[in-house]
Amino acid sequence: MPETTDDRRIIVDKVTFSYKSDDEEKVPQKKALDGISLKIEKGSYTAITGPNGSGKSTLAKLIDILEMPDDGKIIVFGKDTKDDPSFWDIRSKCSIIFQNPDNQIVGTTVEEDVAFGPENLGVPMPELRERVDKALKDVGLYEYRTRPSSALSGGQKQKLAIAGALAMHPDVLIMDESTAMLDPHSRAEVLDIVEAMRIRDKITLITITHDMTEAARCDKVMVIKKGRLVMEGTPAEVFSQKDAILDMSLVLPVEYSFAYSLAEMSQGKLALEDLKDRDSLKAACVRELKKITKDRIPPAASKEKPNKDEVIMSVKDLSYSYDEGKTFAIDSIDLDVYKGEILVLAGRTGCGKTTLITHLNGILKPAKGQVIVSGLDTSDKKSVMKIRQKVGLVFQYPEYQLFDETVYKDICYGLKRWGVPEEEHEKRVYKACEMTGFRTESLGKSPFDLSGGQQRRAAIAGVLVMEPDILVMDEPGAGLDPTGRKAMFDMISNLRDSGVTVIIVSHNMDDSAIVADRVCYMRDGKIVKVAEPSEIFGSQDNEYNIPRPYITEFVHGVTDLAGIEDYRSQGDFTPEGEAEALARYYAGGGVR
Amino acid sequence: MIGDMTLGRYCNTDSVLHRTDPRVKLILYVIYLVAIFMVTDPIALLMLLLITIVLIFMSNTGLKMIWLTIKPVLPLAIFIVLINLFTIRTGTKLFSWRFITITDEGASRAILMGARLIFLIIITSIFLTLTTTPLKISDSLESLFSWMKVLRVPVHEMAMMMSIALRFIPTLSDETRKIMNAQMSRGADYDTGGFMKRIKGYVTVLVPLFVSSFNRAEDLACAMDARCYRGGVGRTKLNPLRIRKADIAVGIVFTLLAACLVLADRFLGQIVVQLTSVL
Repeated sequence: MPETTDDRRIIVDKVTFSYKSDDEEKVPQKKALDGISLKIEKGSYTAITGPNGSGKSTLAKLIDILEMPDDGKIIVFGKDTKDDPSFWDIRSKCSIIFQNPDNQIVGTTVEEDVAFGPENLGVPMPELRERVDKALKDVGLYEYRTRPSSALSGGQKQKLAIAGALAMHPDVLIMDESTAMLDPHSRAEVLDIVEAMRIRDKITLITITHDMTEAARCDKVMVIKKGRLVMEGTPAEVFSQKDAILDMSLVLPVEYSFAYSLAEMSQGKLALEDLKDRDSLKAACVRELKKITKDRIPPAASKEKPNKDEVIMSVKDLSYSYDEGKTFAIDSIDLDVYKGEILVLAGRTGCGKTTLITHLNGILKPAKGQVIVSGLDTSDKKSVMKIRQKVGLVFQYPEYQLFDETVYKDICYGLKRWGVPEEEHEKRVYKACEMTGFRTESLGKSPFDLSGGQQRRAAIAGVLVMEPDILVMDEPGAGLDPTGRKAMFDMISNLRDSGVTVIIVSHNMDDSAIVADRVCYMRDGKIVKVAEPSEIFGSQDNEYNIPRPYITEFVHGVTDLAGIEDYRSQGDFTPEGEAEALARYYAGGGVR
Repeated sequence: MIGDMTLGRYCNTDSVLHRTDPRVKLILYVIYLVAIFMVTDPIALLMLLLITIVLIFMSNTGLKMIWLTIKPVLPLAIFIVLINLFTIRTGTKLFSWRFITITDEGASRAILMGARLIFLIIITSIFLTLTTTPLKISDSLESLFSWMKVLRVPVHEMAMMMSIALRFIPTLSDETRKIMNAQMSRGADYDTGGFMKRIKGYVTVLVPLFVSSFNRAEDLACAMDARCYRGGVGRTKLNPLRIRKADIAVGIVFTLLAACLVLADRFLGQIVVQLTSVL
């Protein structure tokens, strides 16, 4: 245990901060931090979490002296951030990894980027070279050292940013939602790297995150709301306050939700001991599972099976190559899409998902094969505009496509392009807003004055306004906090209920399993399997080696511990649904 | 399309030219720039072609890369050739049909101007963009112009700005492609219609691109601050520029070749004339 003298702590003492607006006529903005006080021990691993706009990232910037507190003080290991002589000392010893991988890379090549920090510190050769090489080896990018940094994948770029930080020999490493834009595989890799480095180099690690599963890995969790610290403790202590967490529109890690659901049915209690880590949780789940009596389990809701009557879109033997046939981004894809279903295209980054959907409305022309939408061929030039109206395509981060003076005009863009009569515009815009949950009172605003969540809704409305039969969405939940994600997937379910066929691209198995009628899993440009989620993710033996949702992994951990063999979940992949399904199976004597 | 641009992209292979000190390459580049515009004689032009071919092989970038850099400029080159071909009316008439007249002077002028443009592009990509990372280019500019710091010219800052601009070219061109795809899905059409209509159409790409660039700039500034950037004072370099013997050799050889080229251009014509008269 570290000693608890104040020299071995980061102390935030009654700090207040608000962002200054350049426009003096504007009223001062609301406080990002409002008298917050907290202490972080040297060498500890702390998660800071809270709803969007709670001031989490601002706190990180204040610790690294990228901003100065309006009021109060911050002491980093005995040095006040307001003392001039300590300025460079503190800043060089604190490193931040930001959210967007692209926007923090300065160097044109990988090694030049890693060197940027130590070069600024004036580290001489040959020490500089040693530091760069060592940092690159630590994150596993040494082989890429002379490559252009822009050619790396998102996950590799974040590893590069970590190498850049490690090369500065930091005492404090702050991850500011650094994994939010990564796929689950890269996310796990990045976390493993920083956790290993933390232990080896005795780094104080602070992770700012929405992902509660990530927070559960830390020694300590701090919850911030409206610029104040509202909750603090070990993960067990924090996640034991279930209702308080949910009240703040945060979510519990799925394994905790699962355990709570079981305990509710068994009318048992989960002690702090049970919540300590995954193993203790599993043991508690088994204990509670055994206590559940049949009458406590709600009846199984029958899930509507998608109608396989009408094929609305058909992909036939489709191949595409970006380098004239040397490698194929997608290779001989055959896929039928049924009217009214939600089809999730799942797979790791770079498996060809985005290339596939870019064919669905004829933006890319097939190198081989064809795409047929309601009888129209996308390679036929004459039908392309018709197809683009029928198939709405929402790319990743669609908010980046907003351009017009007002949201209303922006949403109307497609209507004008297709020559929809003027008098229909207003009705259609309002309908699109209603479907996406965009606040109609903001229609007159500039799209650039909206919050991120509202921007995304506006952008989706701009596609829905064409009243497409099929809506294709690339990573609709990317970069949103848990509440935003949930709202997004609720919206998608509603769209399906109103008759729109939805195709979603996702690398997130948890979301995919919950929302999908069918999942199409892709790898290296090929389809591995198309089936209902329960068939793809439910089985214990995983013949296709398809990554499973986090909840499914946990449930299988529980069934293994309980000695239940060959469990095949009939649940809906929400923690609650899975808990009920397991209880039903167990109470029924294990016989299906 | 903007997204397919090869001009300005670094080719990550290894070669003598890749290893040559960027300052040497920059100076050679200027020398050849001047030479290209001085050369008019066809034989000297052939010599230039030979030197260029040697340079292409020394750069180890592959002919395909060279072709990709020339391709976008070809329409302009053809335009220049045609203009010269049809508008120059002095000299001996070679061909005439209605209002079109082609003369020998026009033809040679056309070839010269077209060749100059192509040489210009090849030389730029071989000496600079293809074989030299943007960071090295800006390093060498910073080094070559460091004497101007005395005059309070912010040489380091300008070099840093340039290298960041170059670093973001691939990022922004990818982003342009993405935005265009998104707008095309909403009915935008960038390939048909008149000139003004197309320009107007590009508003739907440029506005989002500018907005995101400003956001990126803000993020990047913050990230640079966090990594203790404080200008050029006290900075060290991972790959400091160092002149080696090989660099001097490359510099001397190609300077001499350029000198030969210019001399040949000046006097070859006369020598040939005298030789033919003697014979």
